[in-house]
Amino acid sequence: MRQPSVISRRVAAATAVLVVAAGAAACGPKDNKGGDGSSGAAGKPQKGGTLTVLNSKPQEDFDPARLYTSGGGNVPSLVFRTLTTRNREDGAAGAKVVPDLATDLGTPSKNATVWTYTLKDGLKYEDGTAITSADIKYGIERSFAAELSGGAPYLRDWLIGGADYQGPYKDKKGLDSIETPDAKTIVFHLDKPEGEFPFLATQTQTTPVPRAKDNGTKYEEHPISSGPYKVVKNEGDGERLILERNPHWSASTDEERKAYPDRIDVRSGLDSAVINQRLSASQGADAAAVTTDTNLGPAELAKVTGDKKLAARVGTGHFGYTNYIAFNPKVKPFDDPKVRQAISYAVDRSSVVNAAGGSSLAEPATTFLPDQAAFGHTPYDHFPAGKNGNATKAKELLKEAGHPKGLTVTLTHSNDKDFATSPEIATALQEALKKAGITVKLQGLESNDYSDTVYNLKSEPGFFLGGWGADWPSGGPFFAPIFDGRQIVKSGYNFNSGQLNDAAVNKEIDEINKLTDLDAAAKRWGALDKKVGEQALTVPLFHPVYKRLYGESVKNVVISDWTGVLDISQVAVK
Amino acid sequence: MSQVLPAEGAGAVEAPAPGAHPFWRRLRARRSALVAAAIVALLVLAALAAPLLAGIEGQDPTTYHPDLVDSASGGVPIGSFGGISAEHWLGVEPLTGRDLFARIVYGARVSLGVALGATLLQVIIGVGIGLAAGLGNRFVDQALSRITDVVVALPVMVTALGALAVVPTSFPRPVLIAVIIGLVGWSGTSKIVRAQTLSLKSRDHVAAARLSGWGSWQIARRELLPALAAPVITYAVLLFPSNIVVEAALSFLGVGIKPPTPSWGQMLSDADTWYQAAPTYLLIPALLLFVTVLALTVLGEGVRTALDPRAESRLRIGTGRKKEADA
Repeated sequence: MRQPSVISRRVAAATAVLVVAAGAAACGPKDNKGGDGSSGAAGKPQKGGTLTVLNSKPQEDFDPARLYTSGGGNVPSLVFRTLTTRNREDGAAGAKVVPDLATDLGTPSKNATVWTYTLKDGLKYEDGTAITSADIKYGIERSFAAELSGGAPYLRDWLIGGADYQGPYKDKKGLDSIETPDAKTIVFHLDKPEGEFPFLATQTQTTPVPRAKDNGTKYEEHPISSGPYKVVKNEGDGERLILERNPHWSASTDEERKAYPDRIDVRSGLDSAVINQRLSASQGADAAAVTTDTNLGPAELAKVTGDKKLAARVGTGHFGYTNYIAFNPKVKPFDDPKVRQAISYAVDRSSVVNAAGGSSLAEPATTFLPDQAAFGHTPYDHFPAGKNGNATKAKELLKEAGHPKGLTVTLTHSNDKDFATSPEIATALQEALKKAGITVKLQGLESNDYSDTVYNLKSEPGFFLGGWGADWPSGGPFFAPIFDGRQIVKSGYNFNSGQLNDAAVNKEIDEINKLTDLDAAAKRWGALDKKVGEQALTVPLFHPVYKRLYGESVKNVVISDWTGVLDISQVAVK
Repeated sequence: MSQVLPAEGAGAVEAPAPGAHPFWRRLRARRSALVAAAIVALLVLAALAAPLLAGIEGQDPTTYHPDLVDSASGGVPIGSFGGISAEHWLGVEPLTGRDLFARIVYGARVSLGVALGATLLQVIIGVGIGLAAGLGNRFVDQALSRITDVVVALPVMVTALGALAVVPTSFPRPVLIAVIIGLVGWSGTSKIVRAQTLSLKSRDHVAAARLSGWGSWQIARRELLPALAAPVITYAVLLFPSNIVVEAALSFLGVGIKPPTPSWGQMLSDADTWYQAAPTYLLIPALLLFVTVLALTVLGEGVRTALDPRAESRLRIGTGRKKEADA
């Protein structure tokens, strides 16, 4: 997950810091969108000019095999086209998956284990040669090579034979579960029903890579473009990336990318305060600048809200992400559902939201699934804490649980500031639980140590702060890793912190995965979330909201619920 | 030499006149030192009486007041000057709405307490090692002096950062920080003590004591320590403010005092992004830290001058130098 606008399963856990810092947000229906083209400079978007991207994290490993993206990423999506992609529209419409290189979202077999795609006509690389289905197969096979690791684990998990495949450098024969009967057709054979395959096909691993141009780990220096821009300079492993128009890209084959600017200049490695300062000053080239990975902090937001001109240049987005309290029911006293419920009742979501930057940067959450239709959000509040916590009810439950004099527990959090598992959130919870007679001791861990400790069965504490974002806007990658009993990982990263292994839940997950009607699947995910919520294995706290500045001459700001970040492929600077 | 130039060679190590009267007289004569002492006393009192003061205000340092901050605008305090009001004398903290006055007075306990503990430790270790080096044989002196050199070379911040990272978080933080600052910051004291001890050793009264069969410990206690008091106290009073700053810096970097315990350094650290949106939040702890360090430094200077017999006789020293040149 080098693409900052993206949340990924592994990275979400592995480097929790990245995730939130990186997290972009996508908006719920009630959100006032930062951009529908009306904000920013007035006038119709025109072609031309240079768009500057000011980022804190470099665009490392710019190779489609190695990128961990949601929906193909933001900058990567300018260079790499994929079988399917995210819909480039504001709000909820932007959480839909749409065809990109393929003519449609794929034809599933009856049980959703075989997916067939046909490529559009007239697809070309930056050198004018034609894109074939064999190139897409080769691109996917490369991502299995150990030296090109970094992508999401799904292809390895889902494709027949994927678990043992070593990549095309070691195994010239290729992966039999991907067939290319002709130059325009590609067929995927999965080892289990996966109705969400069209979502997976948005990731950069389905980008075509011409075998003749593949130079292994050096490919990232100049990956062959299939999109509207090609790489003309890649310095310092993505720290400075300059893209210019790809003359062989044709807008007639690409309904999603607008590609207004002639040139994209990505400058990374900047301090977030510097990025926000430069965007608010909007001087010179910075007037045509955006950021894809840097949010406004609370103090910066306080300053921006007081200035109407600046406030008009803030894009708001919601990314499907939930911050929650996680319990390990193997640790006393959290084995007792009443204790977990008592804590659920006692939390003060107003204080927590404030600690996360206030109501403009966080929305209180009572459901595990983000409050977006794409995730099948079904409202529930099993243990209503109200705005400021229900200490009376919590005390009652503690009494019933045999703790009439209260309880002393340890809450594990990370020491990183400006992060959703921060000491600030932990302190706000500590203060709220005090009212219910629960004394909370804080245990702060350094960020790397934190994810290594809490997401490992051997060292998992009883009571800690967690956060989860999805690889695509759906219940599949959001819900299953946390509550599917077969995804409890004995050694390595484990995200099923509640260690739930309920046959009925597992079975329902399998049933939903068979559905190819994504709307129907979403509803079932929502219902399942509501049901599992009764067990109080997590206490959902808030969904983050992202506010990002952009320069004065930036037009056509589109922020989808999929990424929550303004989409560079839509931005115009003239 | 020492006979010709008593003030030059050994003035600083001369024991204060009996009764220490001149010290207080000289200290009182310096108005700046008096003002500084009053400020320090006030701060110490405020720190000691923190629960009382917060009680008079009707607040405590940890209660959240979500209704006192504008949640939609990044959690900036509602009202002018950071929400200063009759209930909240110094306003409230952004995001949480915790009372700043209560946090300041409770924070003073941590900041002053840690600095005091660290200073005492630095003085105890420094005097012990300095004396041992000064009185011991060549081998002991060489060994201890090299160790001191190594400690001098240790960058306080880096060492403290490393040490804080490895000690389990269950260990009480304020104590830990005081110990770490104490353990890495004693070298100055030890160098001064060793130098003074070496110089004192050749003095007649020490030689007389040695000839009459006193042991090293007895000599140290009866003859050396009283004479060392002046330079050590002077140095300690100067160490104290620098220890406050080190604690503030560690807390500022996020490895110092842990929430919800307030300390000035931690408050500064939390406030640093708020300088535009809520300036008072940053200004109050910054100003207090500045005043405290300044007062202690001025007081330290006053003490140093008051303990230094040369202070009253600058002219004589001047003549002394001339004499030396003539000789």
